[in-house]
Amino acid sequence: MSKYIALPKGVAEADFDKAIAEFKKILGAGNVLHTRERLAPYLKIMIPAPIEEHTPSAAIMPESVEQIQRILRVCNRYKTPVWPISTGKNFGYGSAAPATRGQIVLDLKRLNRIIEVDPDLCFAVVEPGVTYQQLYDYIKERNLPLWLDPPIPGPVASPLGNTVERGVGYTPYGEHFLFSCGMEVVLANGDILRTGMGSMPNSNTWQVFKWGYGPSLDGIFTQSNFGIVTKLGIWLMPAPPAYKPFVVRYPDQADIVKAIETVRPLRIAQVIPNAGTVSNALWELAVVNRRADLYTGAGAIPEATVAKLAKAHGVGSWNVYTALYGTEETIAEHWKIVTAAFKASGGTVLTQEDVGPDDPLFNYRRDVMRGEMTMREFGLYNWRGGGGSMWFAPVSQARGSETMKQMGLAKKVLNKYGIDYVGLFVIGWRDMHHIIDILYDRTLPAEMEKARSCYDELLDDFAREGYGVYRTNIDFMDKVAKLYGPVKASVNHKIKKALDPNGILAPGKSGIHR
Amino acid sequence: MNSLNLIRLLAAVAALVAAGQASADSTGKWQSSQEVYNKVCGYCHEANVGPVITGRNLMPEYISAIVRNGNRAMPAFRESEINDAALAGVAKLVSTSPAAAAKK
Repeated sequence: MSKYIALPKGVAEADFDKAIAEFKKILGAGNVLHTRERLAPYLKIMIPAPIEEHTPSAAIMPESVEQIQRILRVCNRYKTPVWPISTGKNFGYGSAAPATRGQIVLDLKRLNRIIEVDPDLCFAVVEPGVTYQQLYDYIKERNLPLWLDPPIPGPVASPLGNTVERGVGYTPYGEHFLFSCGMEVVLANGDILRTGMGSMPNSNTWQVFKWGYGPSLDGIFTQSNFGIVTKLGIWLMPAPPAYKPFVVRYPDQADIVKAIETVRPLRIAQVIPNAGTVSNALWELAVVNRRADLYTGAGAIPEATVAKLAKAHGVGSWNVYTALYGTEETIAEHWKIVTAAFKASGGTVLTQEDVGPDDPLFNYRRDVMRGEMTMREFGLYNWRGGGGSMWFAPVSQARGSETMKQMGLAKKVLNKYGIDYVGLFVIGWRDMHHIIDILYDRTLPAEMEKARSCYDELLDDFAREGYGVYRTNIDFMDKVAKLYGPVKASVNHKIKKALDPNGILAPGKSGIHR
Repeated sequence: MNSLNLIRLLAAVAALVAAGQASADSTGKWQSSQEVYNKVCGYCHEANVGPVITGRNLMPEYISAIVRNGNRAMPAFRESEINDAALAGVAKLVSTSPAAAAKK
C-alpha cells in the first residue's frame, strides 16, 4: 500500500520519495503537499470524469522562477511529471487537476507579482498567480485609465493562465492571446526563453512588438506542454470616454440566422468592436433560474416549452449583447447605424434605460463588456444543480447558416442524452466561439456517464462536418488531438521530444505525450 | 493645498467610496478577512449565485471544510490562494456576520 494517494505512471515509490524530499529542501516542507487532506482542493472538478483518473500525487508551491528551475532539475532526475497551474480556476475544463493520474501539480499561485503596468503604452506584465482582481485593484489604486478583459471567473482567474489557454473575454480585447505580447518561458532543461523582442539583451520593446526576429514562438506555448510560462505581457484597453451596452432580442429560434448576418458586418468593420455574445433563451433562463422551478418533465425541455418560458420571462429566443465604445459623438453616429441594422432584421434593441436598473442579465453583460469584476454568469450552475459542468466549444464561421447548422447538430445529440441546449456564440471577428454548457448533476453517476458520452458523441458528429473545438477539458485531450489529424500530432510530438525529452512537463496536455 | 491637489483628493475619495467595502489591494496578500470575503466569497454568495452564508451562524470548521473540499458547484480553494490563517479569519467572519441583503 503506497503512502501516496497516487503515483506518476512508471515512477517507483522509492524514487518518488527522493523527489519529494528534494522538493521539500527547495521549497520548505510546508509547501509540498502529498496527503489526501491537504490535496483535497486539487480533487474538486466539475467535468464528468472520475477523479481517480486525474488524481495528483502531490502539489508543490514555488514562489520564484529560480525555484521552478531547481524543481525541474529534480523532475528530470526522477522522471516525475509536473502539471503547472496558474490559479487553477479552469472550471468546466478540469479546474486544477492534471490530465493523467499521478502528476505533481506545480501550483504557481504564489508567483503573483505585477511586474509592470505602463499607462502610456497600455500594457501589463504579470506572473501566473496574479488574478484579474489583483490587476484590477492595481489599476484602481493608481487611477489609471485602463480596462481589463476578464473571462467569467474573472476575480479569481489568472490573466496569464486564461491567455495561455486561449480563453476569451467580452470587451474589444476579447481574444486574449491576440492581445498578449511577450512571454517568459522556463523550458524543461531550466533555460529561460523570452519570446519576441524579449530575447534581445536590454530590450525595452518586449511588450510592444510581438514578432521579434525569425520564427515567432509564442503560439507553441499556448494550450501546450513545451514550457512553463512565468511572465506574460498583456495589452490593456484605454478606457474610452463613453460606453453604451445594449441587447437585441429576437423572438424565434431560426432568428439566429438574422442575428448573425446582422452582427457580422458590423463586427468585421469594427462598428461593433467587442467580443459580444449571442445567447439562447435557455442560457438566459439558466443564469437566473433553477430548472426544477420551470420544468419538471423528463428529458431535455421541449422547444415549445422553451418558447413559452422565454416569452413569459421576457427574454429573446436569441439575445445579442454588444456595446459601442468611443466618444459621445462617435457613439451617437454608430448608434444610428446599429439600431437601423438590427431593427431591419426584426430584432428589438434595448438599452439600460429600456430594461431598467435591476435586470441581472443585462447588468452582468454590461459589466463584463467593460471589464468589471463579476461572476454572475455562474448562476448557470444552479440550473441543474449538483456541480456538473463541461464546456463544448466548437468554432464556427460568423455566418448565419453555419450557426444554424451547428445548433441543429448540437441539439440532436444533447436531446438524445436528455441534456438542455444552453448555448451562446461569442462574437469573435470572423468566427464565432460556439459555447455550450453541458450542465448535469455530478452527484448522480448515471448523469455523469450520460454527460461524458454526450460530449464524446458531440466531438465526433461535429468533426464529421469539419468542425473542431477551440479548447477541451483534461478528459478529452487525446481524442481532440486525434481529430485534428496525424500531421499536427506528429509535429507536436517532435517539438515535445526536442524540448522535453524526459516528458516531465504536463504529459497529456492537448494530447501531447512524451 | 492648492485647488488641483484638492480635486485629485476629491477624485480619490470618490473612487474609494465607489469601491465600497472592497478596499483595493494589488499586493497579492490579503489585508483582512473582509477583503477575502469581498473578493472571493462575495462574488457568488452576495450575488444570488451561491446561497447566502452570513447570518446563519455556520460553524467555522464547517465553512473551512467546504472551502477546502468544495461542494457541488462551489469550487475548492487551495492553501496557495487562501492560506490556513486567512481561511480561519474569513470563516470566523462569515460565522459571526449578520445577514446582508442579497443583491441582484
